Amino acid sequence: MRKRSIAFATLVAGTAMVVCGMAGAQERTVKITGFGAKSGVVRVFGINSEAAMKAAAEEINSKGGVTLGDGTKAKFTVDFLDDRCNAEEGISVVRRIASTDAFVAVGPTCSNVAESLFGILQKKVGDASDSGLQFPIIADVAAKGGLAKISEWAFRNVPSEFEMYKSLIAWIKKEHPNLKTMYGGVEKDFAHSNATYGVMKSQAEGSGLQVLGPSEWLLNDTTFSTQVRDMKRANADIVAISAHPFTTCGVLKEMARQGVKPKLLIGLTSSSSIETLQGCAKQAEGIIIPTSFAPVTPEAKLAAEQVAKFGGSADLHSAAAYEIMFILKDVIESQKIMAKPDTVQADRNKMRAGLAALKETKGLLGKVGRTADREAIKPYLYVHAKDGSWQVLYKPTL
Amino acid sequence: MDLLDLIDAVQSVADGVLFGATYSLLGIGFTLIFGVMHKINLSYAAASIGAAYASLLVMSVVQAPAVLAFVAAAAAGGVIGGLVYLVGFRFIPLANPLATLMSTVGLLLLIDEIIVHATAGVPLNYPALFSDVIVQVGPFGLRGDLMFVFALGCVCMVVLLLLLYRTRLGLATRAVSQQPTASLLCGISTTRVNVLTFVITGIVGGIAGAMTGAAIGMLSPLLSLPLTVKGLIVTVIGGLGSIPGAIIAGLIVGGLENAFQFFRGVSERDLYIMLLLFAFLVFRPGGIFARSAGRD
Repeated sequence: MRKRSIAFATLVAGTAMVVCGMAGAQERTVKITGFGAKSGVVRVFGINSEAAMKAAAEEINSKGGVTLGDGTKAKFTVDFLDDRCNAEEGISVVRRIASTDAFVAVGPTCSNVAESLFGILQKKVGDASDSGLQFPIIADVAAKGGLAKISEWAFRNVPSEFEMYKSLIAWIKKEHPNLKTMYGGVEKDFAHSNATYGVMKSQAEGSGLQVLGPSEWLLNDTTFSTQVRDMKRANADIVAISAHPFTTCGVLKEMARQGVKPKLLIGLTSSSSIETLQGCAKQAEGIIIPTSFAPVTPEAKLAAEQVAKFGGSADLHSAAAYEIMFILKDVIESQKIMAKPDTVQADRNKMRAGLAALKETKGLLGKVGRTADREAIKPYLYVHAKDGSWQVLYKPTL
Repeated sequence: MDLLDLIDAVQSVADGVLFGATYSLLGIGFTLIFGVMHKINLSYAAASIGAAYASLLVMSVVQAPAVLAFVAAAAAGGVIGGLVYLVGFRFIPLANPLATLMSTVGLLLLIDEIIVHATAGVPLNYPALFSDVIVQVGPFGLRGDLMFVFALGCVCMVVLLLLLYRTRLGLATRAVSQQPTASLLCGISTTRVNVLTFVITGIVGGIAGAMTGAAIGMLSPLLSLPLTVKGLIVTVIGGLGSIPGAIIAGLIVGGLENAFQFFRGVSERDLYIMLLLFAFLVFRPGGIFARSAGRD
């Protein structure tokens, strides 16, 4: 009787240990921390990025999760911190993330944050004289060109606006050879808008279009009558507006009032979003914008649905965040990252090396190339506002 | 400058003056509160934009003509004005000017963030009346929506002046403004007058917020800060506590803003407006209608 009791107790204890062990294995998680603007006027970008990261995490987890270096399976969890689109807060947030077990961070939203933030990272890997932060960051939204060059720990999965506008202008020249002149409109105090207008202008001039000048305004301007009057006087064939939805809509409404009707209207990548349609669908009708996301492939459609489930909207920025989660999964597996508290710096080094070694990744619209400067070469297409929605106009790279 | 430039310059200034009616209304709100309580309410413009957002909420529930947006904004502005008094002034030691200043800065940020969280910062379409109307006066075109905004602003100013100078409430308000202790001794409840002042300026602010939304055709949380700055500039140039000063200063600032935009471009425009403010603070701190010896 006593022997049976001991055997029974041993069996119970053994079973309990196995169950606990299994539970322990099942509970293995890898937290990926994103950061970006979740307050202030660009809050929607943070909401969308967080939703996209969570949607991708759920998709990965539903297929078994990620395999760590020791062979165990782990599930992704996503945390998202607010940097308020402020450089100082962005740096503070990343320092906070880097003080944990995290081996990578995803973000930020704003180019001004990325520019400052990448500046605190170690510039060259292995440079003992550089005490910069050795922590890999991969950006999903910050779109100003060439930012990843700042540090070898900085990576981006954002589309190349240079390539997109170069292609768009060339396409316009081919499809509309009768269009000879262009006039610009630029939100002067926003890094992304300003830089992109430079790209639009140089590409237009390079392709033989005569640029008659730009009208300039600020991000929070309330009247655009003077600027649009200049636009009206220029009477250009093409008007290219490099501004975010609020002022894009303000200008488009003023253009409608003053009867400015260019033969072709071009917009900023970030304006190919639901905000523009909510603000001025009627006036935006016909505007052409290059973008690296539209629900045109089965993967992109699925991603759009899943992001919506998490309360976000899939666009060229949040789609990048969605893709990044899959990139991280691949790098964790290929670099055999352990995701343990005692391997944090080793994991960070492996993550950086893995991201730097990537030559190609799988994107929602197709294969995404990687450059030596740690930037992405993403497939893109042109959309135009039609009947109150964004519709695909042309697919140059698909 | 050729004739076309001249026409464009005049047109720009005219557009600016018409839009300046919104600055005038905001300036009146700032100046009324300062006149009565001798305190600056920095959350006023944010509350005005909040009221305009609230009117959009009403419009999304009730299918009604666009003009209702203005009525709803005025009503919401009144409610928000009362709440601002309750939160930012009622229980704050009024003897400490910094305390109320900081509480209104806090309210500005709070209202802004509430709007951002409710809308995710996404700009929203705002109904405009007479947006398709352009009145041609020779070579100049006057926007129907801006003229409506201007006319509405003028009506508000007249009503406000009548309220202040032709009603018992106005009398009590002026009494509290000039001699709070004597007013108390005469049986006037300063708290009641203060609340009513906040509600009335809130109503005016709600209309100003709706006018701004209608003039731009959109609402965005981006508007709060520039309108706060413009409202303060108008209040200083018009003279703290002077309603006629706020009216004229609003129109001047609106016109000059567009003139500087036309002649010097966007990068210098605000610089000249700030220089104007500085010039007034130094040479005419009492504002446009101050006596010439006002500085000392």
